[in-house]
Amino acid sequence: MTGATIPRRATLRPFATAEVRHEIREFLDQEAEMIDDRRFGEWLSIVAADFTYRMPVPVTPDNPATPHYDARAFIIDENRGTLAEHWFRRYESDMWEIAWAENPPVRYRHFITNVRVRETEIEDTFDVRSNVIVTGTRQSDQPTPLYVERFDTIARQDDGWVLRARFVVPESTVIDFAQLRVVL
Amino acid sequence: MAVLSEEPKRIVREEDGRFRVNRGGYFDRDVFERERRDLFGRTWLFVAHQSEVPEAGDYVTRRLGADPVIVVRDEKGDINVLGNTCRHRGVGLCRSDRGNASHFRCSYHGWTYANTGDLVGVTAVSEMYGPGFDKSRFPLYRAPQVDTFCGLIFATWSADAPPLMEYLGDAAWYLEAICGSFDDGLETLGAPIRTLVNTNWKAETENLGGDGYHTPVTHQSAFVLGMFAGPDDWQRMGTVVAKSYKGRVVDCGNGHTFRVHQLPVATLRPAFFGYPQKLWPEITRNLDPGQIDVQARLSVFHGNIFPNFTIIDNFKTDTEGKGSATRYIRITQQYPIAPNVNEMLWWGLVPRGVDPLWREQSQRAWLRTVGPAGLFQIDDNENYVSFASGHSGSELADEEIVLEGGLDNAIATDVNWRGKVYDADKSEQTMRAFWREWSRYVEGGQRESNGSAR
Repeated sequence: MTGATIPRRATLRPFATAEVRHEIREFLDQEAEMIDDRRFGEWLSIVAADFTYRMPVPVTPDNPATPHYDARAFIIDENRGTLAEHWFRRYESDMWEIAWAENPPVRYRHFITNVRVRETEIEDTFDVRSNVIVTGTRQSDQPTPLYVERFDTIARQDDGWVLRARFVVPESTVIDFAQLRVVL
Repeated sequence: MAVLSEEPKRIVREEDGRFRVNRGGYFDRDVFERERRDLFGRTWLFVAHQSEVPEAGDYVTRRLGADPVIVVRDEKGDINVLGNTCRHRGVGLCRSDRGNASHFRCSYHGWTYANTGDLVGVTAVSEMYGPGFDKSRFPLYRAPQVDTFCGLIFATWSADAPPLMEYLGDAAWYLEAICGSFDDGLETLGAPIRTLVNTNWKAETENLGGDGYHTPVTHQSAFVLGMFAGPDDWQRMGTVVAKSYKGRVVDCGNGHTFRVHQLPVATLRPAFFGYPQKLWPEITRNLDPGQIDVQARLSVFHGNIFPNFTIIDNFKTDTEGKGSATRYIRITQQYPIAPNVNEMLWWGLVPRGVDPLWREQSQRAWLRTVGPAGLFQIDDNENYVSFASGHSGSELADEEIVLEGGLDNAIATDVNWRGKVYDADKSEQTMRAFWREWSRYVEGGQRESNGSAR
């Protein structure tokens, strides 16, 4: 598995410049818009070939100094290829009759805040930590919120910014959400 | 405990070749309370996998039925299932999901218990209670019976329940075919996933118990996306002996049911596609000939241990992209929170000590198919949730669902497997077996043992 760095909270490197922070903040908002609008082709164009999307299993540990997740067990473990072929493919019109959970689709809305951009040992690659709420609304149900902490790896390439890895830790140990099949 | 109606509605109706279940069996509040008392208070229930508590002092917090418990291995190596509530004033003792502890100390007044459940310390005991306070009067409440089979730890609140092996009956043979295949047993991939789903707990157990009828409909997209091995794959695996998969459903008695779905290929030696080939000899060595016949050329095995423990062992293709293939084992436990709210715990299992890369691949395979965001699971969930919302009314909530599929199924004569094996892949034998057993507990005449479990 390449491209996925499990974040170490203890290693807090310096914040990036204001210019980089501003550009990445814009990038995150635009990236979320593509997901919420279900513009998956565009989204794939700003995601690295070795992109991984992972969500570990949250736990309440007995040692308060350890993180509230199990680093070996996952809820979601996908890559760019599986997202394209198994997730987004189901939204295409020839699948409407059989992709039961996507028709009608759950409506998702991202709310992104507390964005912090830190340098890494690699030039033009940044650790981006944010607090995120995503609401999911299934048919006539009321919206359900999912509260997560998000750790992204974002890099600058010749043709713009690219998302290299996303690691999402849910706040609650019991997931109560409309439909978890979404890039949070 | 809510007050129960004196004349409960009849839920299971089997007569003259008809088999109907009143929809109140899922969503009626009175039925739900009866289940808590008469079903979950009396059956064996899965609580944890042995690999979650390997060392002395290791514990996990779970529910046994509706009640919070601590599942802990004591210093002698025995597993205790203890009520997570102080005998003094009832405060919860253990607030984390897992850890290691020799003792549990209450945060309210400091009563302290050994991990055997024995009360060993009472704060200011003589000042508070005078001389001669007898600590042995107040051990933690405990499940009177705890037993382990193939790494699966079960417990029951009932002192009168038959021993676990008798309760499992022929189902033990099938569990062993899946969980007893490897020299070092199985281990969990880590902490269980926990989710809440807005449906009745029986939606998942009925489906996993043996519903081969829904697969081509609910999961049609998975066929299109290549997750079932097709004729081209079969050619590479062995000699193709039929035009399609072979499926059978099994009624093991006591409400335990399975479905076994196999690839239409013959091989020179038993082939366990999806497992690393170097592990195949272990499987052959550890299982009896009938069990090997269940495991070999397996497409999918799934079932339900009555009432609320499901298991699936699945061979899947393309989960890592075109041309990939792997096995995974997933187990789940359903905790009924309300008639239409189910808490589900999900674990992946792999052979203990298996190659780390295979371990990760197997984990991804189950997450991508039957994990909470998995391709199969989300379509199943849509059925489960809309099943619940379809019963929010009053006029139709009292109508019946129909479980009359496969009434004429023949017994399979071409296999030497345990239990009643039906020569049918699409059938409702398994659901009828579940509901008959459910009715025996919830509607039957076995009310004499519904008193204190201790």
